[in-house]
Amino acid sequence: MGKLSDAIYEVHYMDTIAGIDSPIHRVHPLVKLIVTVAYIWFTVSFNKYDVTGLITMVVYPVALFSLSGISFGHSIKKLRVILPFVILMGILNPFFNREPLFLLYGITITEGMVSGLTLLIKGILTVLGGYLLISTTRIEAICYALNLLRVPEILVTQILLTYRYITVLLSEANHIFEAYSLRAPSQKGIHYKVWGSLIGQLLFRSIDRATGLYDAMVLRGYNGNFRHSQLPKARWQDSAYLLVWMAAFAVLRYTSLTALIGSLFVR
Amino acid sequence: MHMADALLSPAVGGAMYAASAVTAIYSVKKVKEDFSPKKVPVMGVMGAFVFAAQMINFSIPGTGSSGHICGGILLAALLGPYAAFLSMIAILLIQCLLFADGGILALGCNIWNMAFYACFFGYFCLYKPIIKNGMSRAKIVLASVLGCVLSLQLGAFSVALETTISGISELPFSVFVAAMQPIHLAIGTIEGLITAAVLIFVFETRPELLNAEATENKFSLKKVLVIMGIVVVLVGGALSLVASSNPDGLEWSIGQVTGKDELDTDVSVHAALADVQEKTAVLPDYSFGNDNIAGTSFSGIVGSGLVAGLCILLAVIFGVYKKKKKADVEKT
Amino acid sequence: MSHHHIICSNVSFSYDKSFEILHEISFTAGHDDAIGLIGANGVGKSTLLRILVGLEMEFTGEVSIGEIKVTKKTLPRVREKIGYVFQDSENQLFMPTVYEDIAFAPRNYGLDSDQVEERVRHALDLIDIDYLKNKQPYKMSGGEKKLAAIATILAMTPDVILMDEPTIALDPRNRRRLINILNNLDHIKIIASHDLDMVLETCNRVILMSEGKIIADGETREILTNRELLEANGLELPFCLQGETGVSYKPSVPHTHIHL
Repeated sequence: MGKLSDAIYEVHYMDTIAGIDSPIHRVHPLVKLIVTVAYIWFTVSFNKYDVTGLITMVVYPVALFSLSGISFGHSIKKLRVILPFVILMGILNPFFNREPLFLLYGITITEGMVSGLTLLIKGILTVLGGYLLISTTRIEAICYALNLLRVPEILVTQILLTYRYITVLLSEANHIFEAYSLRAPSQKGIHYKVWGSLIGQLLFRSIDRATGLYDAMVLRGYNGNFRHSQLPKARWQDSAYLLVWMAAFAVLRYTSLTALIGSLFVR
Repeated sequence: MHMADALLSPAVGGAMYAASAVTAIYSVKKVKEDFSPKKVPVMGVMGAFVFAAQMINFSIPGTGSSGHICGGILLAALLGPYAAFLSMIAILLIQCLLFADGGILALGCNIWNMAFYACFFGYFCLYKPIIKNGMSRAKIVLASVLGCVLSLQLGAFSVALETTISGISELPFSVFVAAMQPIHLAIGTIEGLITAAVLIFVFETRPELLNAEATENKFSLKKVLVIMGIVVVLVGGALSLVASSNPDGLEWSIGQVTGKDELDTDVSVHAALADVQEKTAVLPDYSFGNDNIAGTSFSGIVGSGLVAGLCILLAVIFGVYKKKKKADVEKT
Repeated sequence: MSHHHIICSNVSFSYDKSFEILHEISFTAGHDDAIGLIGANGVGKSTLLRILVGLEMEFTGEVSIGEIKVTKKTLPRVREKIGYVFQDSENQLFMPTVYEDIAFAPRNYGLDSDQVEERVRHALDLIDIDYLKNKQPYKMSGGEKKLAAIATILAMTPDVILMDEPTIALDPRNRRRLINILNNLDHIKIIASHDLDMVLETCNRVILMSEGKIIADGETREILTNRELLEANGLELPFCLQGETGVSYKPSVPHTHIHL
């Protein structure tokens, strides 16, 4: 199935770009996590009619794309996942709120149109914010950062192990599905008669794998505690990165920069 | 049903993070209580299993479309609800990071909407009571379908509620709910049937894998409702406090967009607000113009109470059903 | 220390009473032993290996490793001295990177970070896979995974290495590399395999099993050149020996026709 092999490719791709070297890739994962959350937080906190303020938040993705060398093209693929719903909600806005705001070259701009637009912009910016975190930071590093944030060990281990075995099970699922579709060429999905046994087989394989995994772990001294390496200490550059972005977000959010710039040109 | 960041206000996102975090901490505690080292690898691999299995399309007889398994109920049946909840968190986090499926700020909401209801509500209120006195094919189908339907209904309702409270979308609550619930009724039924098919297969080939902790858990319907009630009230209260301390700022921003004074902003804002309120109607007094924190908080709690009431109502309906079912069993 | 490092006496094992998987297995292994454990599918080779590391405890008879009797209590000490390389490397490599994986055991045995670093370095050097250090398991080839899996157990500095089908799914070059590595490791080795050519090159001794019993236990060449013995137990001469008789090899099993 395209979907399964696509997902495998996607995991590999994301891991590859997260592994390259750039000033952004070198920033401490915890710092990047905090900055990302702050970015998304500030972005969504813009009022739904504040297009001009919101648009200034584009500074962050632009800066990160250029500093990290991550290509913008692939991120569009990610937008595809969540954006349809956001666009749908955005398109509906003009219909439910027809309160006029102002006239633009003879066209009445309504509140709904503006709020629909901010919704769309927020949708794009927040997805890009998340994408820029994961494309410059490995999942493992994010997990270690979560560890520093006192997220319970068992949950962090859970994320690491799930991530580790996603590709293994995706390709097992793919083998099963391919073997199935070779013998049932005209079907789009799995016939209902084999719903249970097909997933069931995958399930049993997974459980056997978990048992094998457990054996391998106990033989190497595992007794319930999962130990992994710690993150390196933050450098001064990391603190600077954090401070600069936090300050920038605050300025972009709480001053009307566009209005200021605009006032330089408009009397 | 993955929510995007863009549809949320920071307050709602934060509150749902808090609710999910509380549940996660409680689950970690529960998982550790009867901890066996083997749980860790099993949970990890099962998480990956659900991740992969959710990507397989199952063709639905008679239609051209396809469905997927319901991971939460399946995991809860195999690992118990607490471990299942933690597994689901890992799955949702990875989906959010790697595939941009659901946002980072919305993760708290997504955990609540998709993992909480399926793992706890679907499991304790439906799956377990139905399965309790021994399994059979029919019971597994019934439990899975009802569990999936109810947890998806609650999830869909929460999506609508969270979006409306965030106030980003102009879509009236009633319209949103009217659109979400029927779709998810259909999806829930299909997911329930597929999940049931898998569980029946497990039941008939390796039954020892199912319900490992059904006997150890004396978790009653009442307890779930109490916990949910507390969380709902807390979230509602916190939410409205945050909302009120962070004044709407509509005037301010409209002034900005329009270049200050071309428009009587006050009128339009209040008209818009009134308009929205009229349409939602569920919480007419949710934000009555003044800045009284206690007042807003009170309305938040009232709102939460309504939600809790609705949940309890649903639970009672199914509780009655459960008793009736039991009586039927005793009769025979 | 006694001459016999591994002592297995009268070990029997069954999951349920009706079918015995291992029957009265007895053998010893000394410090210079590299044993090839051979036999057809399902004769109990893997089970025997699992018993030696204490993954199956419901056996009768006695097993001791380095003078420690294998019981529930002694398991941690026994396992510290014995490394088991699974057939499926995927299960053995569960950490994000090879480095982390190799460090897993030393960390569990409470070594400090310098010692862990030292152990990992040493294991990487022994197998010469320093270049894999920061690689993720799912990006590695089957051969690389196998080598990394061996490194993970070498970091425990075991006396004994057990391997289950190590050359399965390896391409010829990686198989050759594995053989060279095995010959360079001076641990006690027990290698369960159908790859008799590999056994011929890496083991000084062979134990042939059939139906849960030891059929023969002796010098590698002696057993692996005994065509009748091998064929009677579902095996064949190693490929490299099949040409030695001068004529092209023909199995002495009567030719069977398969009707489809």
